[in-house]
Amino acid sequence: MNQKTAKLLSISMAALIAATATGCGSGSSGGSDSGKAKISDARKDNNGKEISYWNISTESPDKDEIAQVVDEFNSTTKSGFSADVVPIQNDNYKEKLVVAMSSGECPDMYSNWSGGPLHEYVDSGFAQPVDDLFNKSEIKDKLMDAAVSQATYNDHIYAVPYKNVAISGIFYNKKMFKDYNLEEPETLSDLENICETLKKNDITPFALANSSKWTGSMYFMNLAVRYGGLEPFQKAISGEGKFTDESFIKAGDKIQEWVKSGYFPEGVNSLSEDDGQSKQLMYQEKAGMLLGGSWYTVTFAQDSKEFYQNIGWFPFPAIEDSDADPAIQIGTVGDQFLSFSCKDDKLAAAFECAEDHLSDEMIDKEIKSGKIPPVKGIDSKITDPITKKVAKTATDAPDIQLWYDQDLPPAVSTAHLDSLQEVFGLTKTPQEAQETMQKAMEDYLNDQK
Amino acid sequence: MDKFKKSKQKSILSWTIAIILATIWFVISFLPFIFMIINSFKEKFEMLTKGVFQLPDKLQWSNYMEVLNGGFLNYFRNSVVVLAISLILLLFIAACASYPLARFQFKLRKSIYAMIVACMSIPVHITLIPVFKMSKSTGLYDSIWALIGPYIAFAVPISVFILTSFMKEIPREIEESAEIDGCGKIRMFFSIILYLSKPGLATLAIYNGVNMWNEFSFAYTLTQSSENRTLPLAIWEFQGQYSMNIPMIMAVLTLTLLPMIIMFIIFQDKLVKGMTAGAIKG
Amino acid sequence: MNQKSSLIARRKQSTNKVAVLFLAPVTVLMIVYIFYPIIDTFITSAYRWNGISTEKVFIGFNNWKKLLSDQHFWIAFTNNLIIMVLSIIIQLPVGLSLATFLDFGGKKTTVFKVIWFIPLLMSSVAIGFLFTYALATNGGIVSTISNLLGRGNIDLLGNPKTALFTVILVICWQFIPFYMVYFMAAFTNIPVDVFEAARIDGATRGQYFWKIALPLLYPSIKSAAILSMVGSLKYFDLIYVMTNGGPGTSTELMATYMYKQSFKTFNMGYGSAVASGMFILITMVSLITMKLMNGRKEN
Repeated sequence: MNQKTAKLLSISMAALIAATATGCGSGSSGGSDSGKAKISDARKDNNGKEISYWNISTESPDKDEIAQVVDEFNSTTKSGFSADVVPIQNDNYKEKLVVAMSSGECPDMYSNWSGGPLHEYVDSGFAQPVDDLFNKSEIKDKLMDAAVSQATYNDHIYAVPYKNVAISGIFYNKKMFKDYNLEEPETLSDLENICETLKKNDITPFALANSSKWTGSMYFMNLAVRYGGLEPFQKAISGEGKFTDESFIKAGDKIQEWVKSGYFPEGVNSLSEDDGQSKQLMYQEKAGMLLGGSWYTVTFAQDSKEFYQNIGWFPFPAIEDSDADPAIQIGTVGDQFLSFSCKDDKLAAAFECAEDHLSDEMIDKEIKSGKIPPVKGIDSKITDPITKKVAKTATDAPDIQLWYDQDLPPAVSTAHLDSLQEVFGLTKTPQEAQETMQKAMEDYLNDQK
Repeated sequence: MDKFKKSKQKSILSWTIAIILATIWFVISFLPFIFMIINSFKEKFEMLTKGVFQLPDKLQWSNYMEVLNGGFLNYFRNSVVVLAISLILLLFIAACASYPLARFQFKLRKSIYAMIVACMSIPVHITLIPVFKMSKSTGLYDSIWALIGPYIAFAVPISVFILTSFMKEIPREIEESAEIDGCGKIRMFFSIILYLSKPGLATLAIYNGVNMWNEFSFAYTLTQSSENRTLPLAIWEFQGQYSMNIPMIMAVLTLTLLPMIIMFIIFQDKLVKGMTAGAIKG
Repeated sequence: MNQKSSLIARRKQSTNKVAVLFLAPVTVLMIVYIFYPIIDTFITSAYRWNGISTEKVFIGFNNWKKLLSDQHFWIAFTNNLIIMVLSIIIQLPVGLSLATFLDFGGKKTTVFKVIWFIPLLMSSVAIGFLFTYALATNGGIVSTISNLLGRGNIDLLGNPKTALFTVILVICWQFIPFYMVYFMAAFTNIPVDVFEAARIDGATRGQYFWKIALPLLYPSIKSAAILSMVGSLKYFDLIYVMTNGGPGTSTELMATYMYKQSFKTFNMGYGSAVASGMFILITMVSLITMKLMNGRKEN
């Protein structure tokens, strides 16, 4: 058959398939669309009365929770505006935001992780200050102080935190600990003893997948904050101090010590967190502990309720002869922060929608799905033992430092993560890594002038 | 007699070696595909505990059911439409452009050809923002039509490059005898050149078809609502904030792959036909 | 005399008209989707810009100066070159052998053809995932084999010295089928009579291949080499999925570096400089190579 016939054939095949698919496939559904929520797909803003809202809750239950909040807002608000939520997958969400902002199509309301990127959004004019609205609102007293401070930049409030308090801590296999007579450690040397015992019994102490680089940073941040408190970091970021401060070097040294002692999985820098290779080690009982954000409670619970029953949790232990306050934690108080690029009436309406994310109803739903909304007194409402413990630890913390790779300006964050990965791979000394990080920070500060 | 036997033995030996090597490569090509399918039948937690290489306890068809009940058919339809239109237009446009570049002599020929080759060097990502802005201003944003332009445009340089080298191989005599018969350039193109370029066009169809089918960056940037998404974005449905549902993703990937395999099986014999029949006789 | 020259002139005119007509669609597409973004990118490279704000600060050639002394970029370029060389050495010969096998084997080998083609059909996401597990230090295929041989686990992707070569092998796995198909199509350009004539003259298959077919395939091999080169210099997908440029910078490529600068670290201005630099390097390399290859042949 000649070329023309072939082309004709392919066109008709395509048309046939298209027709069939259209006929039997549903028109506009996408994914598990449960609940009465109207997750309408974004259309052109007809009369300016629509608030475009982007977030990353693409999966149930989060997706449904958000849908219900938005639905509720749309039906009860008297502002004359309605919100239209577009859930976007986490992976490239930041890039998509960048593309939207740079072409003048920034969504009216969007969630972000606060820290460095939020500062960029603010500096570029894509996040409006909401101090007035906030002070008049009831969420002012509802939210944890730490949450509000993570939403603050240059003394103004630029976001509404709402979803989850996630601090880092160590998840461990309770049965394993029992079998080897291990108890939750109070100090770092206790922790190291646990590691030794596990190692002697052919179990990798820490389940870590470090190809994504930020997972290794968990160890670094916790060690640094236990060695030196929060000041070194805060000073280094403002330019008054340096990232070559002692506490950081000690943290790096300790990590390399642990690498050489075999406390991390072999080939740790090639394991992929996103592909589940760290939690896999836990499930296969090849590793005993996992230092990670408390969102892991949801992960473990979703993956296997049975396994979750066997999980325990403790915060990162204190380091003897260190002055630092061991109650300080690393984490995010909010996890998702809602920022606004719109103004005036629309801003007020959007803010109202954001407030609804902190309604008692929403809070209860989030607790049910295992999250810790960043409101005061939350731990009394929680029933799940681990989540309760996490919530209490967070509430008791005098200060909660946001993850470095989130707090730092992105360029410095990259320098940090790249060189830390090399520290894990023993191809860079902690001193070198810190110097690289410091240089990146200096470059950034110079650019700002 | 001896020499004949020896050469026959040599030939059998070389064929045996060839078949062994071919089988090795066969296994290497096939294994990952098999693993993909095996894992698509596992249950989520099972995959994490037992690892990637074990057989599933039992065949979980539920993964496929859930994928198909989701927006899969919708994504599939979008992918098919985008692919069909883009590919057909691409083949036509590339063929049109390759013809003068391969067979004519005219002033700017070399420079135009060099420019097209230079265009092969563009990393796609830098065009994301300008193309995004364009699609917004033309109102095409968030529709599958926004994808067709970029898909064709980015496939053209390589396609023209490949096709011109094929067209150059067509012997002059055919053109000359057609010219003597009074055939104009345009008619020559449609009746002769296109026909003789079938293998080249088939190569292009395969290569570009696969690329467009699996294309992610533009699909991600230029569409928003789920009803306008194409297949590569479908794996999103199963990548949540907390964890990936890997067996589901494997199911989606397998389902995405199958149409391509089927198309290839159907169309690959055109390549064979070209080969055994011989493109040109005398 | 006059009639003949005006006939030739008219022929030339009509040829030119046809050329313009046929090249029109391509030109329009190029201008809209390629030239405009490239120019835009070059312009942006002269600014310091975070990619989102309306404020762009003009800094002239500063980004370019930074680029020239940016070790990270030149390491990436070197990695691209390594990929380029190894890809040509591995992918083309293997692809050619597969195509030859299929050509000689005829219809009986169709099943090989279909299965051999599958790697090219799989999306990079699928390939990246499967091979990350297959090459895992603990429990992956390579490690299992080396354990059986008593050598213990082997860390391929986490070791900066081996990561790049490992990914290159996976890239070869993915793209060899393309060259297989490409050369299969090239074989069709060899007239059957040539093969018949060779056989009549008593040539063996081997002699036919080395002395006759290969030289005839030479132009296709050259084009394939250029395609491979450009593809290697532009490469992004599997590296991004499997190693993201790590560990450290051992697998960083120009494209991944550019992507990170433009979209992840709010350095769109510098990212554009990287992209423009990439474009210049790749174009230069391809045009020089093409000129060298076509040197002797008449155009």
